[in-house]
Amino acid sequence: MSELNNSMTQSSLNTATTSAYEKWRLLKDAIMHRAVVAGGLSVIFAIVVIFFYLLYVVYPLFLSANAEQVAQYPIPEESVGKTLFLNIEEQNEIAARFTDNGQVIFFEAKTGKTISQRTVLLPPDTKITSIAQGSPVSEGAVIYGLSNGQAVIVKQQYKVAFVGDKRVIAPSLKYPLGETPLVIDDTGAALEKIAFKVGEGSATIVAKTADKIRLTSLEKEQSLFAEEASLTRTDSFLDMPAANITDILVDKEDRNLFLVSDDGSLSFIDISKKDAPEIKQHLNVVDVGQKITSLSFLNGDLSIMIGDSSGLVSQWSLVKDTFNKPAFQRIRAFKVSDKPVISINTEQRRKGFLTVDIDGGMGIYHSTAERELIKEKISDGAPLSTILSPRANALLLQSNDGKIHFWKVDNEHPEVSIKSMWKKVWYESYAKPTYIWQSSSASNDFEPKYSLTPLVFGTLKAAFYAMLVAIPLSLMGAIYTAYFMSPKMRIYAKPSIEIMGALPTVILGFLAGLWLAPFIEENLAGLFALLLVLPMGVMLFAFGVQCLPETMCQKIPEGWDAAMLIPVIMISGWFAFSISIPLETILFHGTLRDWFKTEFGIGYDQRNALVVGIAMGFAVVPTIFSIAEDAIFSVPKHLTVGSLALGATPWQTMIRVVLLTASPGIFSAIMIGFGRAVGETMIVLMATGNTPVMDLSVFQGMRTLAANIAVEMPESEVDSTHYRVLFLAALVLFMFTFVFNTLAEVVRQRLREKYSSL
Amino acid sequence: MLVPEFRSHSFDASSILRSSHKHDDPVESCIKVENLNLFYGKKQALHDINIEMPKKKVTAFIGPSGCGKSTLLRCINRMNDLVDNVTIDGKILLHDDNIYDKSVNVAALRRRVGMVFQKPNPFPKSIFENVTYGLRIQGINDKRILEETVEASLRGAALWDEVKDRLNDNALGLSGGQQQRLVIARAIAIAPEVLLLDEPASALDPISTLKIEELINELKEKYTIVIVTHNMQQAARVSDYTAFMYMGELIEMGSTTQLFTKPTKKQTEDYITGRYG
Repeated sequence: MSELNNSMTQSSLNTATTSAYEKWRLLKDAIMHRAVVAGGLSVIFAIVVIFFYLLYVVYPLFLSANAEQVAQYPIPEESVGKTLFLNIEEQNEIAARFTDNGQVIFFEAKTGKTISQRTVLLPPDTKITSIAQGSPVSEGAVIYGLSNGQAVIVKQQYKVAFVGDKRVIAPSLKYPLGETPLVIDDTGAALEKIAFKVGEGSATIVAKTADKIRLTSLEKEQSLFAEEASLTRTDSFLDMPAANITDILVDKEDRNLFLVSDDGSLSFIDISKKDAPEIKQHLNVVDVGQKITSLSFLNGDLSIMIGDSSGLVSQWSLVKDTFNKPAFQRIRAFKVSDKPVISINTEQRRKGFLTVDIDGGMGIYHSTAERELIKEKISDGAPLSTILSPRANALLLQSNDGKIHFWKVDNEHPEVSIKSMWKKVWYESYAKPTYIWQSSSASNDFEPKYSLTPLVFGTLKAAFYAMLVAIPLSLMGAIYTAYFMSPKMRIYAKPSIEIMGALPTVILGFLAGLWLAPFIEENLAGLFALLLVLPMGVMLFAFGVQCLPETMCQKIPEGWDAAMLIPVIMISGWFAFSISIPLETILFHGTLRDWFKTEFGIGYDQRNALVVGIAMGFAVVPTIFSIAEDAIFSVPKHLTVGSLALGATPWQTMIRVVLLTASPGIFSAIMIGFGRAVGETMIVLMATGNTPVMDLSVFQGMRTLAANIAVEMPESEVDSTHYRVLFLAALVLFMFTFVFNTLAEVVRQRLREKYSSL
Repeated sequence: MLVPEFRSHSFDASSILRSSHKHDDPVESCIKVENLNLFYGKKQALHDINIEMPKKKVTAFIGPSGCGKSTLLRCINRMNDLVDNVTIDGKILLHDDNIYDKSVNVAALRRRVGMVFQKPNPFPKSIFENVTYGLRIQGINDKRILEETVEASLRGAALWDEVKDRLNDNALGLSGGQQQRLVIARAIAIAPEVLLLDEPASALDPISTLKIEELINELKEKYTIVIVTHNMQQAARVSDYTAFMYMGELIEMGSTTQLFTKPTKKQTEDYITGRYG
């Protein structure tokens, strides 16, 4: 006996001589220990990786742009003539130099090697008095105004062909309205300023001579029978002084004309009727004493960027004023320099622009985001001409030292800033600054509206209404089940509610969107009646049971009373909805929806927060119920007994002792439920209508962060700004749930510590 | 196998009370149990109990585990109502009122008959809130009354000096012995007539036990005390009367001195001399 004892103590203390079984035991323990640690660590690792992946995708949004010079070379064919302006095609391979004597030199953008030289067919003995590019610049149309009152329109063409695997771009010139010069001014007065818009079969030319501003519209009419097309021409004059006009802009819709005069004023003229232009507005667009030094349409031609002699660039847009009439208003301004801004180059596909001041200081900005992306000195003194490439990734400029500089610009995501995502932004043609999420459109001119505020708002709104439904139901249910229900009934009730949590949310969303939403729309009054009928029905039933003879009462097993309420609830529900339509007819003379609309101006959306609240509430109930019920049920018996022994009623015990003791669990139940409601996707996707509106009304829909990601991710281009903003939304959502769950856990731990000695 | 012998006997406790205290003031009975039978489902746990507990004295229930002493104690403030499947017949009179009468308000009864359990069960609230709990549930929120009651009760439970500076601290921070005295203070704060103590010191260390026993001695000045204990020395030390129970039956009751020195029943003698239990 003692020997055996001896050997046992030895074997347990000395690992060197342990038995095989003991070794196996220790090994198992070590393996399991490591496995658990590895499991825990890999969960943390996975979360950290997800976080950093999101961060990695989002990060480039906040990078500043950068620009670097990659080449400089002497002006190609400098002897031919002086540069009027430069142009560069989409691939940044070929550039063009337009000279003052009607020559166009195409050259390699990177090296300056001449590719070809073309001569624009100008009438003999004329001089170029004005030149302008059409809008949008990408169409490549250029108009020459001549000293004899004639004008020539040419179009650059860059034909892309593939020779083998190599891309070959062949530049050429075309005359969209024919090679014959157009006679604009029949008196032969020089066209001092000119602007135009040329379309498929039409052209609008606005030209300023010494004393007149003339609007010429040409319409090509294709006769059915004749091969030849004839041009119909309309001429009209603007009823305003022409002498001090310094710049003319015609928008691409051929509808609005803008004239700038040297006193800093802008005239806005409606030219949709070509024979009767209508002057809409004259306004001063610069501060007193300043001069307009440059101007340009922002992409889309809905707003004009105006640079002045104080280095301020302001954005002016057509905004509907208080009388609902379109009027020009300044919607934002950028202080780009202390020196006069001599040129504004707008991007052709985004709402960005490049400014150059008189000292050669360059800046790249984005109007919607109000973001300054680059500020850099690109030349000593004012450059003669600058052009931003169509993709806004290259910059060509001719400096006054007779060289052409080729810059590469890296500016991937200018559209996003803290302001454009979280604050009110004044978008083009909106009456005032607002929060809008509208990420994409078919048009290139579209101003993307990446405000996350309506999405966060929608997320919180959906979660709020879901919690409004879920918290009372699940907590009351948990209290009853854990504290009052008979144990036998609890055995059935608890798992049945928990199994609801396993219901795929897509089914809930489907039901909510396709059945519940129309049902509530039809029976809105019934839903409100239910809130009244149900408690009344239950009360009435309880009263009825009280009045029953005692022998009957005793037949009801204690704690099973809830089961008897099931038919009562069903009958109340049926009753409430069956009186819905008569109720609406009698009380609201039609439908409750119309009544809300006419009486309070509250609109009704079929897929609204009410539907989402009910459906998502239904999804959240099992989560909250299960955790809260466990918390209440595990309140130590000796506490409740202690309270009852002091003469407290069961209800007082419930409120003052049980709920207090279970509060950490109840709190974390609510927090976890909230986290679930915030991250829930399928239900909100299918039942909200996904309209990113900011309206607290229970009858309006919303779009949540999660649903937004689900809706838009499949159609967003990988690595585009939109894509990254969606990842940012995911990051916000992640942080949201992470913070909430952590907060819940911290509070729970602290409370648990407080009550740990129970 | 000795049990059947006694089952037929109905034990007249009142005669003993009268006989053993001839020289004292006449002993007034506070609680009187008459023909009490208790069943857990079909199993009978108490057999025809008849017993009287005198006013402002300490009555101890002793007996081996499972003999029904705690069950009997819990009958006195109807805590057994909380257990499923319990049927009780017979009467318990508290000053001639049957507490099992239909018209009895159980909450009110429990205010008159306080109870302290084996395991200290302070609520997860402050010391102050623990003591005032019984008052607050009666709707008494007058700060002055509450403060007075807290001091008086804590003094009554010999805890005042230890906690007077930290009344707002959580009661769970107290030691086990302090917690048990706090629970007693909480019970006496509502001024009950009877205090039921269910093995109040069995979870405590010897020093705390001593303090509780001293406290019981003080408390009997004001309250009728019924104590259940495993510890026969404790019963001998603190009680005036002792009842010995065995297998759901009351075997013998008498003054403590008499029961421990001259038990009339063999079973009692066997138990107190340590032959079983």
